[in-house]
Amino acid sequence: MIATNVRRLAVYLLLAFVVVSGGLGWWQILDAPALNARAENPQVIAARRSAMRGTIFDAKGALLASSAVIDGVSRRTYTDAAFSHLIGYASLRFGTTGVERAYDDILTGRADPNPLRDLMNDILNRRPEPKDLTLTIDKRLQDFAAAQLGDAIGAVVAIDPRTGAILAMTSIPTFDATPISELPDPAGPAMARITGRPGNPLVDRARQGRYVPGSIMKVLTAAAALDAGAITAHTTFPDQPQQETDGFVVNGFTIREHDLRPVTPALWSLSPALQVSSNIFFAHVGLELGAQRFLEYAHRFGFCAGGSIGSGARALPVSASYVTAETDGDCGPFTDDVELASASFGQARVSVTPIQMALIAATIANDGVMPALHAVRDVRVHAADAAGGPSSAVLEESPSGDGSRVISVDAARVTRSAMVDAVEGELGRLYAGQGSVQLYGTGSDVHTAGKTGTAQRGEGQAPHSWFIGFAPAQGDAQPSIAVAVLIEGGGSGAGRAAPIGGAVMAEWLRLAGGG
Amino acid sequence: MRLTLAWRWTELRMLLPLLLLVPLGFVVTHVAEAGVLEPGPLTLAFGYVALMLVAHAILVLSGHRGDQLLLPLVGTIGGAGLVILNRLAPDVEPTQAFGLQLDVAATQLAWFAVGLVAMLAVAIGLRDDGLLRHYKYTWAAVGIGLLVLTAFLGYEVNGARLWLDLGPIAIQPGEFIKIILVVFIAGYLADNRALLTGASLRIGPIRVPPLPYLLPMLALFGLVMLIAVRQNDLGQALLLFGIFLTMLFVATGRRSYVLIGLLLFVAGSFAAYKLFPHVAARVDIWIDPFADPTNKGFQPVRGLFALARGGLFGEGLGQGLPQSIPYVHTDFIFAAVAEELGLVGAFALLALFLAFVFRGLRIAMLARDEFSALLAVGLTASLALQTLIIVAGNLKLVPLTGITLPFVSYGGSSVLASFVMVGLLLNVSHRTARAVDREQGLKDR
Repeated sequence: MIATNVRRLAVYLLLAFVVVSGGLGWWQILDAPALNARAENPQVIAARRSAMRGTIFDAKGALLASSAVIDGVSRRTYTDAAFSHLIGYASLRFGTTGVERAYDDILTGRADPNPLRDLMNDILNRRPEPKDLTLTIDKRLQDFAAAQLGDAIGAVVAIDPRTGAILAMTSIPTFDATPISELPDPAGPAMARITGRPGNPLVDRARQGRYVPGSIMKVLTAAAALDAGAITAHTTFPDQPQQETDGFVVNGFTIREHDLRPVTPALWSLSPALQVSSNIFFAHVGLELGAQRFLEYAHRFGFCAGGSIGSGARALPVSASYVTAETDGDCGPFTDDVELASASFGQARVSVTPIQMALIAATIANDGVMPALHAVRDVRVHAADAAGGPSSAVLEESPSGDGSRVISVDAARVTRSAMVDAVEGELGRLYAGQGSVQLYGTGSDVHTAGKTGTAQRGEGQAPHSWFIGFAPAQGDAQPSIAVAVLIEGGGSGAGRAAPIGGAVMAEWLRLAGGG
Repeated sequence: MRLTLAWRWTELRMLLPLLLLVPLGFVVTHVAEAGVLEPGPLTLAFGYVALMLVAHAILVLSGHRGDQLLLPLVGTIGGAGLVILNRLAPDVEPTQAFGLQLDVAATQLAWFAVGLVAMLAVAIGLRDDGLLRHYKYTWAAVGIGLLVLTAFLGYEVNGARLWLDLGPIAIQPGEFIKIILVVFIAGYLADNRALLTGASLRIGPIRVPPLPYLLPMLALFGLVMLIAVRQNDLGQALLLFGIFLTMLFVATGRRSYVLIGLLLFVAGSFAAYKLFPHVAARVDIWIDPFADPTNKGFQPVRGLFALARGGLFGEGLGQGLPQSIPYVHTDFIFAAVAEELGLVGAFALLALFLAFVFRGLRIAMLARDEFSALLAVGLTASLALQTLIIVAGNLKLVPLTGITLPFVSYGGSSVLASFVMVGLLLNVSHRTARAVDREQGLKDR
């Protein structure tokens, strides 16, 4: 009796040992390649410690990041703090961020852009060969943008609207990535010094900062309403002039206009309304469009979900922008018409990243097609001497991904023309003052489109200063740069952000024209 | 007194490979680590083999008739453990005792010596089972006393209050509780087996155990479990529960008891998950250690990386990174074996354990009385389940617990308790052989 039970027990225990052996086989053979490739693996860390890493160049071949193996330790150095957020760092101590993270497998050589070669390298167990990257950004424009911001906390984003290539992307305050990447031991104190400084220098305000947009949001409201047929270029709202002074009562809540002086309220259509940045006019436009269509266009423009620079596994994530309160990672519903009306001129719960706003400008500039962003132009064979510039052997070009049509050509053109008026029109100049006019006075025949924003925050906090725009914008010209400029607590958009936006565009046109 | 020699040629033959294997393990490790071969470390290796051979000689001299494969199997498993500990020694803090500073391998060897002495004392010294069987309640009282003592006077290491300070050395009474529990349950079940298997209540198709007869055992068992859970020693609680169910199954043959027990266990585990934050934390880490790979999941994640690095044939002794796992010499020694000796080596180690288990169960099957059979089953199941729980924990098949891998993990109490259990198994098989001899003698006469 007991002997029979013991025999049964033996079978059960044997089965248990078989199951355990199966588990052993799973981790040691089947799942081992995946585990061996994980970044937290101490073996990977040890290999990384001594591994060469590819070089990163700007669009013109200027050196931005390079590695040297000294005494068996791979040291990474960076040349330009204006790129610190975009490129990120590759630290033995703190891991990787930015492009360093997104392209880690390419830079270290663990992956080959060509899948077939990648497979062959894997089978033949070849030593990884690091690869180099060139960015779409011209260092000269990046440095110019950073210098324009100076000590002001904020961000500048510039995009080529035709291709989605990032032309400049800088966030202030920035940090020097070299001390946290060069050697593991001093990296800790170096990181502590950076995080101890005010203004969270590690945060990439262009990608991760979320701000109230204020009046620059009116560009989206106008474009959406035009495309949906809710308004035309000539639509007016008869009650608007009176409401400018008395206030616009929505659901019993009075929406008040900001101070329009020296302009006197009148019956305005889109162009003059955008020139003087009438809140009441755009509240009407938003209500005319309706909550559902407003949310629909917000989604089309890329709001309500996280975005990216680049695509697939090598994408740099961009924080989501929202037009309403975030609900489960999506835009929630508008609570009432008051919120819809306020969101239409960029207040209420709208929160946006500078990149999202640059994309809106780029979409208008590109006749309604929103370009797919990318910051890495190509992958190249590793150049032995980084100082000598990149190798000419290009392994892979970043696909200039197909844009997506967001609004019709007509709607984009009408919006564009209103944006040109907003910076060059009679009312626009009167309203925005001399500051904004001067930036276009480059003496050339280049015209510019744009919109300023002075985003109101809570009581006692200075408003954020915003500008979005693009150039050249005259006639049928194809714009070659779209920008978004944000200065945290910078006050009026026309006073701070607009001149920087204009200067960056002018510098780009000068650089592009001069070669 | 006349010496009754009993040659144990099989045992000797099976022990001889250790003369080659253990020193070879030490040599390979030191060549890999230092690049040169020094004679110093080899004394440990030869010391270990000598210990085994002396134990064999004492068994021979005492005329012991017990199983001849147990010692070689344990010797090989322990030898592999010593080789791995010696490889880990440079990365583990040395121990201080009696004014000496010893690395983990040397300390472990000392404990092997103590363990072998205890094993021989039990294997040879116990004339009959009376001391164990008839004083089962006394043993139970001693066990509970030890647990209570630990719960109040013990000190905590890593959040579990398991240790009792005895001056120069510290012991983990929990390691010995399982032996006492096995002895008690075997005694109780042997006395009451007829009642337990015969009368039983039926509710529909389900057979319910006759509770009144199980009560004393359940009470003791419940108390032990309560204290184990209170001391935050979940591995120990799981092990004791497994031993209890296994012995109950073997004594009664009722799968339904095991099923009811498992259901109770699942319900209890769920309640513990909801009630105790430290249990919930352990389970969450188990489900997804990669959710927090640098902090809470650090140890299990490092363990999995070690397994993956090992692959089929292993990195080779002294050439892997097992020291990257926290508490590798106690909790994750199996992962260290799997890393440096590969799937092949880890399979071999598991096969040795399985062979030991089968040998233990064979002793149970051959035993002449129910108490001896149940005792052998309980001891074998204890070592088998302990092995399975910690290995499965290393492999993320069950939540990781802090119990040791018998004969391999570093730890004096564990080594001592495991050898006492081997001693008891040897004792049972010795008495079986003697009983067979007497029956043969009677027939011959």
